[in-house]
Amino acid sequence: MSDHTLQAMPVVYNEEVVRKFMIAAMFWAVIAFTLGTYLALELTWPTFNLGYSFTNFGRLRPVHTSAGIFAFGGSMLFGTAMHVVQRTCRARLWGGPALANFIFWGYQFFIVMAALSYVMGYSKSREYAEPEWHIDLWLTLIWVLMTIVYVGTLLRRAEPHIYVANWFYLAFLITVAMLHIVNNLSLPVSFFGAKSYSLFSGVQDAMVQWWYGHNAVGFFLTAGFLGMMYYFIPKAANRPIYSYRLSIVHFWALIFLYIWAGPHHLHYTALPDWTQTLGMAFSIMLWMPSWGGMINGLMTLSGAWDKLRTDPGLRFSVTAVGFYGMATFEGPVMSIRSVNSLSHYTDWGIGHVHSGALGWVAFISFGAMYYLIPVLWKRPAMWSQRLVAWHYWIATLGIVFYITSMWVAGIMQGLMWRAYDSFGFLQYSFIESVVAVHPFYIIRMIGGVCFLAGGLMMAFNMFMTIRDPQDSRQGFPSGLAVAGE
Amino acid sequence: MDDDTADAAVGVAMVPLCLLGLLLAARAHDNEIYLFGFSLAAFTALFGFSLIKRHYDMKDRPLPATPVQANDHV
Repeated sequence: MSDHTLQAMPVVYNEEVVRKFMIAAMFWAVIAFTLGTYLALELTWPTFNLGYSFTNFGRLRPVHTSAGIFAFGGSMLFGTAMHVVQRTCRARLWGGPALANFIFWGYQFFIVMAALSYVMGYSKSREYAEPEWHIDLWLTLIWVLMTIVYVGTLLRRAEPHIYVANWFYLAFLITVAMLHIVNNLSLPVSFFGAKSYSLFSGVQDAMVQWWYGHNAVGFFLTAGFLGMMYYFIPKAANRPIYSYRLSIVHFWALIFLYIWAGPHHLHYTALPDWTQTLGMAFSIMLWMPSWGGMINGLMTLSGAWDKLRTDPGLRFSVTAVGFYGMATFEGPVMSIRSVNSLSHYTDWGIGHVHSGALGWVAFISFGAMYYLIPVLWKRPAMWSQRLVAWHYWIATLGIVFYITSMWVAGIMQGLMWRAYDSFGFLQYSFIESVVAVHPFYIIRMIGGVCFLAGGLMMAFNMFMTIRDPQDSRQGFPSGLAVAGE
Repeated sequence: MDDDTADAAVGVAMVPLCLLGLLLAARAHDNEIYLFGFSLAAFTALFGFSLIKRHYDMKDRPLPATPVQANDHV
């Protein structure tokens, strides 16, 4: 088919479902940030547990992590994946609008059901995989449908080439499906009861859990958002990727190496020593693809760095890539067994996770949203660019407060727990380490307040952009575009 | 598979899911399955009705005059 023919062929993209995912992502982001701030308050002053079972830290914590990762992050990933695959393939979503809508509402149903089950006290007690078997089965259904729609759209593409962002999104969809299914293999006590028991036991159970857990980081929180990076940074900067070849090397190296890194979560446990060393070695090797990808993202700005002065949305994306580099440097350092003996079980881990979650995942999402919202609602720009800039600075300040306080608190905890006196007794009791970190918990909470304030600014800006009475659509029918550029 | 067939298939799939939800709620051993079952039944029933409404809304909607918006595909 010639280019001339393509230019004349209208492609009616399904943008409605992408718009819904963006609104849902914004909603869940505010929920996740609010809960995170409240939990920071509980940790600082435990009286804020309020004495109710459903406001207890143990029950609200998975609501916060699920709202951040699966609700906010997942809605962003599904929404942008559906946008990117249509645009780069010049093809409408496979399966029709009803299926796309079912995926959207079905995913939201999963999030609400999971959150309700946590506050009611039902949990498999597997980190980042807390929902019981029936909710897991529902998510499997939605995930498989999403993967079918994605692959179906790729197969009906009018572009001969599959753009690299699609490779990352596809790895995210396929691998997370595999991880989710295997890690959640369990036997329910009854078909009509929520309780179930894992098919694995002992150290095998721990191994499978952290094979899942670390690859949830690798394929959900990294590969999927890298797909976002490879599409939205070139679009916002109006520059091609610095090196397309490097992006392909980045993809295959990342995919091959990440899947082995899980055992570094189980240093000094009953897991065989060689397995721990294997996880550590592969974690260190991950420096190469991670930094290759970071360099590729940053160098895409070559010749367009001046845009950072005028486009705060792009500033979010570029800062996100910086945080990606920082977090993927820190992670392998923490995976080294001797470093891990200091860092594990301390707040250093919490700081590391949040430099990735806030700095990389949330910032790359904000950058994508600030680009996408005007595009999806046919507006010339966001309602207030100044508010975007305010969001950028207050959120950045929040992250700095958060991660620096957790670094100091974590290293202090680690050092206090391993300190011996001249008689060979532990120098500090546990409660002394709790008292010592209290000021840093307050700083962490202030960081959370800053990040939440930024999220609220974004939600307001998004709302005003969407309801902007100045109709700039100029008669364009919603969701219609002609392929060919 | 054209969009209309796919939409109809999704609508039909809501029926067994709705019945499954009712079965779970009816035989539930605990509050969690009771809540999940009823919620599943309500969700799939509402979704099914929304598909019917959407179908007739689409029929009533006039066709766009000029479906052309160049340079907007990537």
